[in-house]
Amino acid sequence: MRRLLVIAVLIFLTTVHVFSLGKVTEGFKLLPTGEDSAFMIPAPILKIVTLDFHGIASDYLFLNSIVFEGSTYVRTERPRVKPWEWNWLFRSLDASTSLDPYFFDPYYFANGLTWDSLMVEEINHLLEQGSKYRDWDSLLPFYVGFNYFYFFQDNLNARKWLLEASRKPDAPSLYASLAVKLSYEKKYTENAISFLEELSRRTEDEALKKKYKDRLIFLHQVLKVENAAEAYKKTFDNKPADIQALIRAGMLHEIPVDPYGGQLYLDFGGKVKSTSDLHLESLP
Amino acid sequence: MTTLWPIALITFKEGIRNRAIYGIFLMALMLLIANFLLCSMIPREVGKVAVDIALSTVYFSGLLLVFFVGINLMAKDLDRKTIYMVISRPISRPQYIVGKFFGMALLIIAAMVFLSIFAILSIFLIKLSYPGYFPRFSWPMVLLALALSTLPLILLSALSFLFASFTSSSFITLVLTMIAYIIGRSSYDVKALVESPEAAGIHPSPVTVKLVHVAYYLFPNLSVFDIKTQAAHNLPLAPSYILWAVLYGVVYTSLAVACAAVFFRRREFP
Repeated sequence: MRRLLVIAVLIFLTTVHVFSLGKVTEGFKLLPTGEDSAFMIPAPILKIVTLDFHGIASDYLFLNSIVFEGSTYVRTERPRVKPWEWNWLFRSLDASTSLDPYFFDPYYFANGLTWDSLMVEEINHLLEQGSKYRDWDSLLPFYVGFNYFYFFQDNLNARKWLLEASRKPDAPSLYASLAVKLSYEKKYTENAISFLEELSRRTEDEALKKKYKDRLIFLHQVLKVENAAEAYKKTFDNKPADIQALIRAGMLHEIPVDPYGGQLYLDFGGKVKSTSDLHLESLP
Repeated sequence: MTTLWPIALITFKEGIRNRAIYGIFLMALMLLIANFLLCSMIPREVGKVAVDIALSTVYFSGLLLVFFVGINLMAKDLDRKTIYMVISRPISRPQYIVGKFFGMALLIIAAMVFLSIFAILSIFLIKLSYPGYFPRFSWPMVLLALALSTLPLILLSALSFLFASFTSSSFITLVLTMIAYIIGRSSYDVKALVESPEAAGIHPSPVTVKLVHVAYYLFPNLSVFDIKTQAAHNLPLAPSYILWAVLYGVVYTSLAVACAAVFFRRREFP
C-alpha cells in the first residue's frame, strides 16, 4: 500500500513538473528581454570579473553570439535581426576579442556580419585592432582591405591594407596583385569579383559561402552589362539610353537575371544598378 | 627533514582519502568531456578553445582542491582539537606547519599531474578529430602553462595556512583565502583600471587609488602565473619571464609559510 502511495505521489509530481515547466516556459518567453538595450559590461571590468578565466569567457561570449545569430534564421518577422540586436552582437564580439585579442573566430564571424548588419565601420575597426595582435595573419588585413574597397569605395585604404596583408607569411601572391589592380579605379566590378572569389575560397562557413556565391553571380551579371555598355559606347560613340538599347543593338541577348530578384538597369550616369534590395546600391 | 616528512606524508594521505577530491576529479572529467561538445561548435580555431577549456578546467579543479580540501587539512586539526595531540609530541609548531604545508603542496602537485593527464588526453583526442584546426598549437606551451598554474595554487595554499594560523574556524580561513585569491588575481587589472579610469568611464576617488596600490603590493599578483592565452595561441614567452615568475611564486610562498609558522608558534590554545 505504501509503495503504491509512493508511486502515485511520484507520478503526480512528475506530471505537475512537466505541466509547470511548459507553463513557466510560456511565461518566460513573454518576459521583457531588455529590448533596445545592447548593454555589455566594459572590457576592463570584464577582465577583472573573469579572474583566471579570460580565455574561456571569451569563448563563451563568442559561442553565445553565434548561437544567437543562428537562432534568428527561424524567425519569420522582417528584418530578421533588429538594429539593437546587431549592436548587441557586435558588442559581444568586441568583448570576446577584448578578453582574448588573439582569438580569430570572433573577427571571422564579425566580418561575416558586415553584409546584413551594415555596421561596417565598427566591424572594420575591430578587425584593424585584431590585426595588430594577430600580426602573423593575412586574413584580417585582407578583410579590412575588402571592406574599404567594397563598402566605402576607398581604394587608397583598401590598397594599404591589401599590401599589409601581402606582407604576412601566409599571404597568397594574389593579394599583392589585387593591390596593384586597385589602382585602376574603373575596374571596380572585376576587382570586386577577384576579392569575393578570394573571400569565398578562404571561407569554410557554408552560409557565408552561399552569400558570396550569390554576390558573385550578381557581379558577373553586372559585369556583362558593363561590358556591353562599353562596347556600345565604342561602336556608337554615345552612352546607351537604357538597358534595352543594348539588346536592340545586339550587345546583349537578354537582360541578365539579378539573383536577388530585382531588375538590372542603367541609371542616368550610365552605371549598372538593380531594383533589388541589396546593399550594393552604392556600386560606382 | 626527518620530522617534516612523516607529517607531510600523513597530510598527503589524509588529503587523498578526502571524498571531496573524487567529486572534484569527476567534475573535471565531465568538463573535459564537454570540451569535445564545445569544440564541435567552433568554426576555425578549435585548438585554441580546446586548450582554453582544458587548462581552465585543470586550474578551476585545482582551486576547488585548495579551497575545499586543503583548508580542511589544516583547519580540521584546529576545529576538532586534534591539534592537542600533535603539539604534545616532540615536534615544534613551525615544524608542524611546514610539514603540513609540504604535504598539501605534494597533494596539489599530484592532483595537478593527474588532472593534466586527462587534459592532455582531451586535447590530443580533439586534435585527432580536427587536425586542420590547430593552426598555432604547441605541446611544450601547454605543458608549461599546466606546470606554471600549479604554482599559484601552492601559493594560495600557503596563504590559507597563514590565515588558519591566526583564525579560529575553517570557514573564516576559507573566506579569507577566497578573498585573497580574488584580490590577488584581479589586483593587476584593477590597478590598470584605476590608473586609466576613462577606459571604463569610472571616476575612482584618491583613497580608492591608494587602497588599490596597497592591495597590489600586499597580496600576491596571481596574474603573472596565467599564461593560458600564450599557450592557446603559442605566443612567444621569454624564458627569463618564467624564471622570474617561479622565483616570485617561491619567495611569496616561503614568506607566507614563514609568517604562518611565526603566528602559529605564538598562538595560545584554550
